[in-house]
Amino acid sequence: MNANVWVLTFADAFSIATTLILATIGAILTERSGVINLGVEGILLMGAVTAFLVGDATGNVWLALLLPVAVGAVMALIHATLSITLRANQIVAGLALVIFGNGLSQFIGKPVEGKTRPVVIKALDLGPLTDLPIVGPIIFGHDPITYLTWVGAVVCSLCLNRTRPGLVLRATGDAPATVDAQGVSVARVRFVHTIIGGARMGLAGGWFMLARGTAWSQAATTNGIGWIALALVVFAAWRPLRAIAGAVLFGFTLQVPFTLQGQQINILPPEIVQMLPYLATLFVLVILSTPRARKLLGAPKMLGQPFVRDER
Amino acid sequence: MNIGNLRIELEPRLTSPKWLYVVVPVGSLLCAFIVGGVFLALTGHAPIGTFALLIDRGFTSTRGITNTLGTATPLICTGLAAAFAFRMNLFNIGEEGQMYLGMIGSAWAGIALAGHLPGFAAVPVVLMTGALTGALWVLVPAVLRAKMGTSEIVSTLLLNYVALNLVNYFIFGSRGFFRDPSTSFPQGRLIEESARLTSFGSTRTYPTVIIAVGLAVGLYWYMKRSNYGYETSVLADSPNTARYAGMNATKLTLSVLLFSGALAGLAGAMYVVGPAGKVDPGLLQVGLGYAGIVVAALARYNFMAVVLTAVLFAGLREGGASLQISTNPVPISIAVVLQGAVLLFALGGEVFRRNRLRVRRVQQTVSV
Amino acid sequence: MSSASSEAALGSHRLGGATLFALSARHVTKRFPGVLANDHVDFDLLPGEVHTLLGENGAGKSTLASVLCGLYKPDEGAVLRNGTQIRLTSPRHGLQNGIAMVHQHFRLVDRFSVAENVVLGHRSLPFRLRTSDLENQVAEVAERFGLPLDPKASVGELSAGQRQRVEIVKALYQGAEILLLDEPTALLAPPEVEKLFETVRAMTKAGKSVVFVSHKLGEVVDISDRVTVMRDGRVTGSVARGEADTRKLAELMVGRDIDLSPRRSRAAAQDTLLHLDNVGLRRDGVDHISQVSFSVRAGEIVGVAGVSGNGQRELAEIVAGLQAPTSGEISINGARVNGIGTRNVRKAGLAYVPEDRLGTGLAPSLSIVDNLVLTRERGFLVDRKAALDEAEAFIKQLEIKTPHAHTATRKLSGGNSQKVLLAREIFGAGDNARVLVVCSPTRGLDVGAVEAVHKLLDEARAAGKAILLISEDLDEVLTLADKVMVLYRGSVVHEALGSEVDVEAVGLAMAGLS
Repeated sequence: MNANVWVLTFADAFSIATTLILATIGAILTERSGVINLGVEGILLMGAVTAFLVGDATGNVWLALLLPVAVGAVMALIHATLSITLRANQIVAGLALVIFGNGLSQFIGKPVEGKTRPVVIKALDLGPLTDLPIVGPIIFGHDPITYLTWVGAVVCSLCLNRTRPGLVLRATGDAPATVDAQGVSVARVRFVHTIIGGARMGLAGGWFMLARGTAWSQAATTNGIGWIALALVVFAAWRPLRAIAGAVLFGFTLQVPFTLQGQQINILPPEIVQMLPYLATLFVLVILSTPRARKLLGAPKMLGQPFVRDER
Repeated sequence: MNIGNLRIELEPRLTSPKWLYVVVPVGSLLCAFIVGGVFLALTGHAPIGTFALLIDRGFTSTRGITNTLGTATPLICTGLAAAFAFRMNLFNIGEEGQMYLGMIGSAWAGIALAGHLPGFAAVPVVLMTGALTGALWVLVPAVLRAKMGTSEIVSTLLLNYVALNLVNYFIFGSRGFFRDPSTSFPQGRLIEESARLTSFGSTRTYPTVIIAVGLAVGLYWYMKRSNYGYETSVLADSPNTARYAGMNATKLTLSVLLFSGALAGLAGAMYVVGPAGKVDPGLLQVGLGYAGIVVAALARYNFMAVVLTAVLFAGLREGGASLQISTNPVPISIAVVLQGAVLLFALGGEVFRRNRLRVRRVQQTVSV
Repeated sequence: MSSASSEAALGSHRLGGATLFALSARHVTKRFPGVLANDHVDFDLLPGEVHTLLGENGAGKSTLASVLCGLYKPDEGAVLRNGTQIRLTSPRHGLQNGIAMVHQHFRLVDRFSVAENVVLGHRSLPFRLRTSDLENQVAEVAERFGLPLDPKASVGELSAGQRQRVEIVKALYQGAEILLLDEPTALLAPPEVEKLFETVRAMTKAGKSVVFVSHKLGEVVDISDRVTVMRDGRVTGSVARGEADTRKLAELMVGRDIDLSPRRSRAAAQDTLLHLDNVGLRRDGVDHISQVSFSVRAGEIVGVAGVSGNGQRELAEIVAGLQAPTSGEISINGARVNGIGTRNVRKAGLAYVPEDRLGTGLAPSLSIVDNLVLTRERGFLVDRKAALDEAEAFIKQLEIKTPHAHTATRKLSGGNSQKVLLAREIFGAGDNARVLVVCSPTRGLDVGAVEAVHKLLDEARAAGKAILLISEDLDEVLTLADKVMVLYRGSVVHEALGSEVDVEAVGLAMAGLS
């Protein structure tokens, strides 16, 4: 096996990381506002099928990326309404969203099942940069959305830490009563960020379909990436910049099974290799649950708690 | 919320009238059918006709209802598994994987042990082994949750994907113990005849349905009356109170999660002693573990109600399956759409059971 | 209204012979489900004055303050600012009118710095925040009113007094002209209270008005220019400084004579039931409790006073067996009970009423019946029939107001749920439990319930129980205890017999100044 294969594996890891970064930062924004949305997997699936169907119908790659954003936002709106306005159990609401998205994506994707993807997002041609050895394919061989995602993560981080809306968002997840007392609507902050988060998840699903998927088949599309994104939120300690590092790491573990299979390296049966990313994620969760690590991580204090003002 | 000078408020009810316990689930079901109908209409199917067929094939025809009861049997178990954990605020969403492991464990017992056992003991031993392997599959998340407080949600779920690959490995990836050696076609090795149950008549309902319903009744009684049920309800309501009263939260949490895993494992074992008779990857397509969560949530974690909602969902599924083979085939996933939608509406509807919607005029008279 | 115009109003608040009030309430009525919290309340605040809203818990004073600051909208009536009606829609809207409220439970973000907390929600904050600029601004405001604060400090690490200062600076930073302080002294040690009063004086000197919302009679008389007394949602009187004495105010507040005289044990104390010898608790290198020794004898109440967070909770939990001491000996009835676990400590004869009634002492969603078996030995099946009979007896005997014995305890009022808890711990455990640990048993209760609780404790003492009363309410300790100890940073720093207590010395000891 040559070094080139590993360069390509790294390039793929960065590429998968795009989906993870989009979805994870979406979940981070949602959770920072105090809402926990477990429906990521369902939104990813809906985003993916939407991108496929729109691409199939219009042949326009940008439309095929835009509509998943809207679909993600609408799904998040359902979650926000249930958990913020109606104060339903957020865990169960998120699971309901996964089941709903799972069923609906299968249902509306049935006519195109097995078809190959209609449109593809092409990598940018950065000329000599792309031709550089090693860093060329790893860093400079991607499509525009990937670069936008990286820039977006940095922007998110700056907004969260250095701006007034960021200050309010951080306070909303930790101390909603304080924000409320300042006359800022907690429900509004939560709605806005849950929906922005959902839109990002929708884009993550759509992009994944068009950039990395081959044919539409519900069972094999996202394969639990949504759940890995949720584990990544913890790994990233609810900070957007750390999500990038985590996403690349997890992207690598997700890609390795394919590399090994592609190279006919049969140290382990493929089914066993396929387990590794999930086991690796579980392992990371174990490491992160030591009391010391938890103290450092600092989850938003009021995560998953509905806010009620008039408590008498 | 204010609209003009009207104020719309949710006001908590001190007691919920009994009729709301019926109206909310039934209303959710109707709303879900409307949503499903919209998608059917959009994809060129006649909603009313499709639903009428679905209800006939799922519930009202003899063949339909017996098929439904057969599917409901493991679903009752996964539903009980979810209800048992969720009512304790322990969100075990790994029933799917625990059920697969139950299938694997019971098939192992059925192949390796059943031949050495007296006939009457074979089925119970196989079922128990399935329950045990289901419980073992949740052991790591359970210990993490009980000892370190790690959220069980993501950890139990990740293991579903591991379990799925494990089943695939046993049947497709290897020529090992679970694979039928007599053919090159990848399929599971049949368990001993003594470890299998026969269905009622020519139906697809197996005697295990009696065990499943019996478990629901037994759990309902036990958790209502026993000290264990009492201690878990105190811990679920207020961990500080449980600590104050000297209860062992670690032990309680661990036991609840393990028992939940055992119930899900039992679902897989019932599939093995009943219709399958082997490790069957067909179970991976059905999603009974995930559906169990919906069943439990819709039953509001009441064990007796789980039986009803499980039959309802199994009927949707059976009816949905038969729609695939009509002249204008409707994808079976319509059943999953309906399940998800029912849960979403039920969650929303719950609010109206707990709260009263009040609309009143806002008065701001000034008399200085 | 801008601050400039209200400063103008300060100079000329008498226009045409009529007094121009900075803030007024006219016939304000506010209802909550089942409660009439404010019933046609009138209230007037002059510019530059300190005005106290006095009343028992549940009298409606906090509700009125919430209406005045814009948190609640009145169902009827009006709020006037400088004589003009304002319709406040939110606390932010209140702030725009120069009105700010500092809540009893601080509304701060622990993880934020002082500066971040102060600027949070300021209406004209720039989009982009420059940390150093903000810190300078905050430091400047704090200094102007003599409130020493480090803007970089993390709020989670500040004391209660410092947090209160953050809240006040926050209000001032946002341009508040009128400050409503809800129970501002509840969490402060006596010297900190004095410091707060100095700050209040500095603020009124600068033309700001301050409303004190308090139920503590004694301290308000010194600082207030005017006191308005509320009871059962109505105003029962409003008196200027020097017009009324404490006795008169108490009468307005309570509406009847209450017995504030100390209750002491009548019988001679008997044998020692609870004994602590050099008990310490060291965790993560910090001494939470160090070298505490005392005895409680049958038929006496030993009171532990102190400012919240000085080891009260740890002391109670060590005695109750919920935490094992890292040094020393604890014995109940002569038997050593170190580290045997709370269930065994209870078997040895202890009952425990924790400070947090609903979240610790009771399971809030469970019924009264189910809560009565909480600290009982239970078999394989729970015997709810006996518990039901017992619950009904308690409901009758202690006049617990509840629809029935199956009502969830969270639906009871504070006083009634405390009665359930006390009944279980005092009577429910039978004659076996002769040692009773009680923590802040009357916090947040109205005056009637306080009396009932004190009577219960007094009767338990008369029945020969040994009671350890740990309370942050100094008056409560002084009223009930036969022996008083002061806990400061985990050590007993002051001890006196109940009949010989020097209140000033106790106050100093609570502040760590003895």
